[in-house]
Amino acid sequence: MFKNEEMEINLGPQHPSTHGVLRVKLRLDGETITHCKPVIGYLHRGVEKICENQTFFQGQVWTDRMDYCSAVANNLGWAEANEKLFGITVPRRAQYIRTLLNEFNRLASHLIWLATHALDIGAMTVFLYAFREREDILDMNEAFCGSRLTTTAFRIGGLREDLPPGFEKMARKFLAKFPTCLEEYENLLSENRIWKKRTVGVAMLSAEDAIALGVTGPVLRAAGVPYDIRKAFPYAAYAEMDFEVPTQTAADTYARYLVRMAEMRQSARIIQQCLDGLPEGPVMAKIPKILKPEVNEVYHATEAPKGEIGYYLVGEKGSINPYRFHVRAPGFINLQSLPKMAEGGLIADIVAAIGTLDIVLGEIDR
Amino acid sequence: MNKFLRTLIPSDIAKGMAITGKHFCKVFFTANRRKVPFHIVSEYPEVVAKVQPRYRGRLTLLKDEQGEIKCVCCLACEKICPTQVITIEKGKKEGRKMPYPVRYDFEMERCIFCEFCVESCGFDSIILNHQFELATYNREDFSLGMEGLSQNMFEPSPVGKFSVADD
Amino acid sequence: MPTPTLLQSIAITLIQCVLVVLFVFVVVPLTVFAERKVLGHLQQRLGSTRVASGHIGVTGWMNRGMWKWGRIPVLSYWRGIPGLLADVLKLILKEDIIPAKADKFVFFIAPALSMVSAVVVFAAISFVPGTFFVFPSWFPGLAGLPVSGGIADINVGLLWILGVASVGVYGIVLAGWASNSKYPLLGGLRSAAQMVSYEVPLAISLLAPVVLTGSLNFGEMAQRMATGTSAWGLVPQVFGFLIYLTCGFAETNRLPFDMPEAENELVAGFHTEYSGMKFGFFYLAEYINMTVVSALAAGFFLGGSWLLPFGLQGLANQLLPAGAWIAGPHAIFFVAKIIFLLFTYIWVRGTIPRYRYDQVMSVAWKYLIPLALVNLLLAAFVRCAV
Repeated sequence: MFKNEEMEINLGPQHPSTHGVLRVKLRLDGETITHCKPVIGYLHRGVEKICENQTFFQGQVWTDRMDYCSAVANNLGWAEANEKLFGITVPRRAQYIRTLLNEFNRLASHLIWLATHALDIGAMTVFLYAFREREDILDMNEAFCGSRLTTTAFRIGGLREDLPPGFEKMARKFLAKFPTCLEEYENLLSENRIWKKRTVGVAMLSAEDAIALGVTGPVLRAAGVPYDIRKAFPYAAYAEMDFEVPTQTAADTYARYLVRMAEMRQSARIIQQCLDGLPEGPVMAKIPKILKPEVNEVYHATEAPKGEIGYYLVGEKGSINPYRFHVRAPGFINLQSLPKMAEGGLIADIVAAIGTLDIVLGEIDR
Repeated sequence: MNKFLRTLIPSDIAKGMAITGKHFCKVFFTANRRKVPFHIVSEYPEVVAKVQPRYRGRLTLLKDEQGEIKCVCCLACEKICPTQVITIEKGKKEGRKMPYPVRYDFEMERCIFCEFCVESCGFDSIILNHQFELATYNREDFSLGMEGLSQNMFEPSPVGKFSVADD
Repeated sequence: MPTPTLLQSIAITLIQCVLVVLFVFVVVPLTVFAERKVLGHLQQRLGSTRVASGHIGVTGWMNRGMWKWGRIPVLSYWRGIPGLLADVLKLILKEDIIPAKADKFVFFIAPALSMVSAVVVFAAISFVPGTFFVFPSWFPGLAGLPVSGGIADINVGLLWILGVASVGVYGIVLAGWASNSKYPLLGGLRSAAQMVSYEVPLAISLLAPVVLTGSLNFGEMAQRMATGTSAWGLVPQVFGFLIYLTCGFAETNRLPFDMPEAENELVAGFHTEYSGMKFGFFYLAEYINMTVVSALAAGFFLGGSWLLPFGLQGLANQLLPAGAWIAGPHAIFFVAKIIFLLFTYIWVRGTIPRYRYDQVMSVAWKYLIPLALVNLLLAAFVRCAV
């Protein structure tokens, strides 16, 4: 008598909780998702192609604009990939400052993740509390390099300028208050029964699936795989830092929340060590005026807040432009696990799944 | 039994309510204080926003003490600009040995404020000033030059358009 | 006092209706304003302080003026009021869009249904104890006649309120259906299930005070609550209040139960396709419902409408000399209780996340209904044994 039909619905590209212009084609049976397919490309600007037509020096500004929430981490990967290509050794002070800023950036990125993820699930106050702290970090970005979001923070071979006067004071002041702020978020969320109901056991992604799909970052660590490039293949000054890689085994949204919260604590620890052990010296290596690559190709991976961001550069002998440039964007690869996470769940779960993946469409579409 | 009690007594929710309630009281009782309020709001157009000394704002051409344009048309900024927003036309001027920019066009709508041009300049003849209120109603206003329409490129730090300095 | 004729009583009732509607249309914008302010303060912001974001023209002039006047402590708090008026103006002037394939008649009737069912509930709620005012002798036609504090002081007030309020769900379901769009449809379906489920524990939790006092009439309940019940009656009262409040949140579609319009899932839920004053009606209905739920809570659980809550009235009557101001019923207590409950609404909204749809249903059927039944049993026990 009754006909059972599945409803097809478009989540996005304009939707409050797709974090940009992500479109997800859903097939719903009632409220249950039977089929889920992310459609991307609405923010494609051809960053890779643009960089192939520009010099190695100019390329950095485009990395700012991929994952605009963690521009410093992108800059760091780009700068280090180039340094590998040209065989440049960066001064130790510059390494420390890079590490310091990278960790601040990780905090900023995780805070924006926490803010939007909590807002997606309905806790709107955490959103503004997290932005309050992020504001301080952006102020520090502004003090260091003059821009808040699209930082263009580093240069191939080191830094353009040393830390500005007063930066250390700002950073220490932030570090002093940050643990209480973290406690505030945790009091609002960690034990809240609704938060737990919305996240525990939701959007599961087992370690096997995560590895098979190439998922990296906190999503992988929440499945129990302690893979962090900062530890596995140390870069910048991470080899000298004392920190842990937080992992969880539950592999659900709540585990990812716990992993990221713990990571923020570790980041604060690394920043403290950087500030305490900041060596003296120059911040820029001696590099030729015009950079021409010696090695042919290079792949350099760093741990961005979202996961492994890898830069693949092919240099041509005698050319000042890269012959080929490719980015292994963590958001793009993590997004591929969305159908695995969301299918079989309810329509509210896909919102949690998108939030927990911590995607930025600028990076996915490039 | 313990679990059942925990379900029944919403202590977790009370904890969250206490935090937000504390914030409410603090903000409510300090809302009128202009000096050190608890809230984090900066009422922007009325209160002038402060930027850090290294802030990268609009591109500005500098003049030396004699009022002479410092730029000598080495075209380094034009070459290094990732978005090609600078166009310079080389020329000569009476009584000046160095080349003189007859035209120095700056398409602000494409500028990404990376400060590469300033970095590349060997003569310290350009800076990015602290102006951040760059929005206009006309597209033409974004085309800046030596003799611009609504704003030219010489004012080192023009007055904010929207900020209403409070007395 | 003279007995009014039929015509006179009709006139009095009409006047009362106008007064109630005026009250509603004053309270609702103030609630909206309070929501902006309180939510802002919870989040360490200021809340609304300006009209639009203008810096030029009329709004700029107003904003600068408000900035200057804001130095005066009390005035600074009301800086957002012009913005509120501008919002109302915007809603009225906005183009009213009806989707091409919508069911036009149902689309039109849905917001009206929501609004009417929300307002009509007020007929059975008495605002002021006894007589509100007596017409002065110079008043043509109605001289010397009393106007009571509520429109209809009927003995089955509770039944009327539950009956009429449950019509409100039709507005939401029909709006979701008539929009002929997918997100509103999902919102409408959700609300149908949610509101029907939550009406059960809501009604059962309201029965506890009825059992305790043995009356369905507001005024009588208030009186007996203050004097007639024992101290043990407080236990079912407090439990019932918590259950009722939870159900009330769900009935008014507020966080953590705002399934029909869950912004981050269904864009705007059932009113996605609505604009202009039709949307304004849904908006108004939500806030009126909040007021109704608060008024009911004040009447049933917080010691009757006009008395001190939780048996404090009995204590006050014993301690204070007879005829003291606080001993009598006062409308101001009623208003204070409503304000406190509305504040709780906003406070909760600012603090906790949203349930998932299936969890909302399980909360109603697995927890709230059994708890409400146990509470009713408790109330009956207290009534019989003590």
